[in-house]
Formats: sequence, structure tokens, C-alpha cells
Amino acid sequence: MERDKHLPLTETVYYILLAVVEPAHGYLIMQKVEELSGGQVRMAAGTLYGAIENLVKLKFIQPVASKDSRRKVYAITHKGLDVLRFDLERMKHMIDVTTDRLK
Amino acid sequence: MKKIKFFTNFNEEENWLNDMARQGYQFTKKTSFSYEFESQKPENAIIKMDYRTFKKREDFEDYCALFEDSGWEHIAGTKSSGYQYFKKADKQGSIEIFSDVDSKAGRYKRLSDMWVLLACSFIPILAALISTDTIDPGVMLDPKSLYFTPELWDLNGAAFWRAFLFETPFALFRGFFWIILPVMIMIYLYFAVKANKQYKKTQEDKITRK
Repeated sequence: MERDKHLPLTETVYYILLAVVEPAHGYLIMQKVEELSGGQVRMAAGTLYGAIENLVKLKFIQPVASKDSRRKVYAITHKGLDVLRFDLERMKHMIDVTTDRLK
Repeated sequence: MKKIKFFTNFNEEENWLNDMARQGYQFTKKTSFSYEFESQKPENAIIKMDYRTFKKREDFEDYCALFEDSGWEHIAGTKSSGYQYFKKADKQGSIEIFSDVDSKAGRYKRLSDMWVLLACSFIPILAALISTDTIDPGVMLDPKSLYFTPELWDLNGAAFWRAFLFETPFALFRGFFWIILPVMIMIYLYFAVKANKQYKKTQEDKITRK
């Protein structure tokens, strides 16, 4: 089977997608990414803004209605969820074969 | 206080603004070439720059809110100014607004694209002037035709020189004002190439740093 051309996702993209499984605005995404990665991935504002813009363009995430007038709230799309699952499968496979070989 | 300056390198511009803050001049506003400062007590400010334009007001608001939430005060820049200036507002957190090389380089890419677009926007004007024969290369061979003073070339001595010198600036403008267009296009393209070089150079840092 041909693999999705967006795979593998970068670490930052993977965590951003995971962060917006529940809708979140920019700064909340930044905090969630840090938390989900156990403090390993810290994104600066300019970098995160560019990443969000790019993911919106790819239609992996989309802005949703929010009460906050200044901050846009983003949520993952079906397309985004699919890619996230594909990447999960890819990593599961890597873990499986690696665990076998390193026994 | 106002200062006129022009930068093609974000790092140099950031350093200059930080230097000014250290001398007690707080950067408050920017128009095309001039920077406005307010006197304040000297401080070790950290000012960083991004380059971005926004289609919608709400996109710009969202952008500023993200920076403010993460400890950066938006001190200068508008929805369509491109140049955006941020000053670090709290003690903790990163001293950078970019956490990877690609996004740090990306601002030069956007700047370069803007200069190219600006240069290209002059091309239709130039083309229109050529196609309507407003630009007449013939005057190069016959510069006399640019002078409208009746009988100018029949005058002699002081009377000739007075009339000739008086009309020369007008004649030059009449014949060669269009030169400003290709000159502008060249200048803009030069800035585009410069920004693009900086873009490549910043990206190379990624390879050398590893």
C-alpha cells in the first residue's frame, strides 16, 4: 500500500495535531505541546504561528467558533485525524520490529 | 525622537533597537524608513522581529494575542506593514520568537517574496508606457526635440544659455522621467535577492550547527 505523502510527521506537527484533538487556541496549543511531550518540545510563538498556518493550509486543522473575540480556536479535521492515526501505526510498527530485534 | 535608517537584515535591526533601548530610547513606531523613539530609563530590552502581512483583521489579532499570551508585547507593526516588532515582557520563557531554523529563515522568504511582488507591480506600468509610446527612445538621438522654447536654437550668447539652462531640467524630466521605473524595479529586485541570500544563509546554519 502506498503511504500517505505527509508521513512521517515531524515531532512538532505530531504534537500539535494531538493537542487539537480537543479544540484549543494558540497559546493553549503551545502549553499542551510542551505537556504532551513531557517538556521535550517547546515551541516559540513565531514558529507555532507558522506551523498552525501551514496545518490550516493542509486542512489538517481548522478554526472553529469560539467565544474569545481575539483568539482563534483550532480543532483537528477528519483529514488531520487520519494522518495522525497513520503516523501512529507507522510508529507502532517501528516499535514492534525494534523490540523484537533488540531482545 | 525620530531616526531614519534602513535595514536588510533582521538580526542587525534587532540589535540596533536593543542598543537604543540600552541608551534609554524606547522604540514606539515605525513608518517606511523612520523609527520613532520615546525617552525612557535605559533597559536591557529584548526586541525581536517577524515579517508577516495579514489578509484579515482577525488573523492579525489572533497573531498578536498568541505572542502576548507567551510573553511578548507587540510594540510596532500593523496588519499590512509586514514588519512586526515584539518586546519581551516577562522574565521567564524563551528569549527567541522562533524555536527552529526553518521558521527563523521563513521570515526572510516572506520578505523576499514581498520585494519581488513590489518589483513586478511596476512592470505593467512600464509596459503601458512603452505600448502607448510615452517612452520614446528616439529622443536619445534627437535630444533637441525635448526643448519646447520657440526659436531656442536660433538664440545666441547669454540669451541662449539662459533659456537653455532654464529649460534643461524640464526637458530631462519630459524625456527621461520614466527611467525611475526601471530603477525602482532594479532596487526592489536587489532587496529581494538580498533577503533571499539571508534566507539561504539562515537555513545553512541548520546544517552547520548539527
